Amino acid sequence: MATHIAPLRKLWALHVLDGNDIHLSLKELYEKLSNGKSGCYWELFEVYKHLRSLGYVVGRHGIPWSVKGQHIKSGTCSLEGSQESNEMLEMEPKDENSVIELFNNMQITDVSPAFNVYLPNSKFRKSSPGDPSFVLYISRCSPPSRVEIEALERKHGAIPFKFCHVENGRVSFFSFAKTELPVLS
Amino acid sequence: MKPRWKGKGSQAKANADPMSKIVSQLQSSLIQSETRGLLSSCSVLVEVDAELADLLNRSCFGRPRITAQEDKQWFQLDMEEAFYLCFSLKCLKVIGENGYIKSNEELWDYLKSKKPVFPVSYKVYSHLRHKNWVVRSGLQYGVDFVAYCHHPALVHSEYAVLVLSEGDNDLNGRLRVWSDVHCTVRLCGSVAKTLLTVIVNSNNQGANSPSCLEHYTVEEQTITRWNPERSREDQTGPKNGTKKIVKDWCNHI
Repeated sequence: MATHIAPLRKLWALHVLDGNDIHLSLKELYEKLSNGKSGCYWELFEVYKHLRSLGYVVGRHGIPWSVKGQHIKSGTCSLEGSQESNEMLEMEPKDENSVIELFNNMQITDVSPAFNVYLPNSKFRKSSPGDPSFVLYISRCSPPSRVEIEALERKHGAIPFKFCHVENGRVSFFSFAKTELPVLS
Repeated sequence: MKPRWKGKGSQAKANADPMSKIVSQLQSSLIQSETRGLLSSCSVLVEVDAELADLLNRSCFGRPRITAQEDKQWFQLDMEEAFYLCFSLKCLKVIGENGYIKSNEELWDYLKSKKPVFPVSYKVYSHLRHKNWVVRSGLQYGVDFVAYCHHPALVHSEYAVLVLSEGDNDLNGRLRVWSDVHCTVRLCGSVAKTLLTVIVNSNNQGANSPSCLEHYTVEEQTITRWNPERSREDQTGPKNGTKKIVKDWCNHI
């Protein structure tokens, strides 16, 4: 019988929702989640929570909405689960290091987008989500340069993108758009 | 961005009186009258008759100075305005303290000595003026310029312009940190203007002479704040509670 070690995020969720007695104390959990690249975890959740609580549909960029019957391989782990059911995703990692690796994939970089965001309306379907209303980048250090903006515009084409800045629990959204004032008469 | 015209008839008035034509008339009139400007610290002073005064006012160059003189008026031109008339429109000559006319190169050097960012600032000023936008100082809004699509008496300014530079002539320190972005965007919003950053790249041409300007490249960019509370299409979607949000987060993020 395989032993399942729940992912850290599940542990955190249990702490937040149920305060259950599990093998990692909350302190140890926070320490693990604050180390290195996973330190971005809190900001990502802040942004996710902020938009979700206003009714927006938020998905992680690059991750499909529906994974029914699919395997998602990530490093040494394989994930199996269904978005449609309410089951928590379970893993069969050999050790907790592979779980950390999962979080490393979620690091905030100014070059990879964090979320796909859809306006809140009932027309959204997981089976055919369509293009997001915009792609969201989380910025940490400094505002994006013109060169970065230009690269992103080429990358995303017709789909708008925004930058989100999180500081002191405040979440702010900015649009940087190349423009050209018309020649007037 | 739609212009906000002041009162009825302003738009029609502006359409009937294109800015390009007014500026062109100013240019001819200055050339004909062989007007000379006097260099005074960071401004250029010009003495003009009623016709020129009217053209300067209508094209939004300079500010009139109050004097006791009745037949002539004095106008004070900013650095960018003066250099635009001299170098780009070639309709004004400026006299230095020694009483001799300054060449464009000499004027350029002088203005650079007073304002190190002048080359980049001028590039932005001339770039917008060349497209027939009215460009005025944006100092009271904490930015470099404000841009109008016609005379300020007829229309509100749409853009608060910030001059940024990249490349070797990187003297400008604005918007390097998020707090400055927050501050500037908030200020622009409170005066109903969109923040327009105009980024100048000198392409390693330096700034030794005004002829370097033609090799500078310019990119325009707007920075706006998005408010998720106000952007929802409708309010009919359910507001998600924390428990569901946390659960979804763990499930699919």
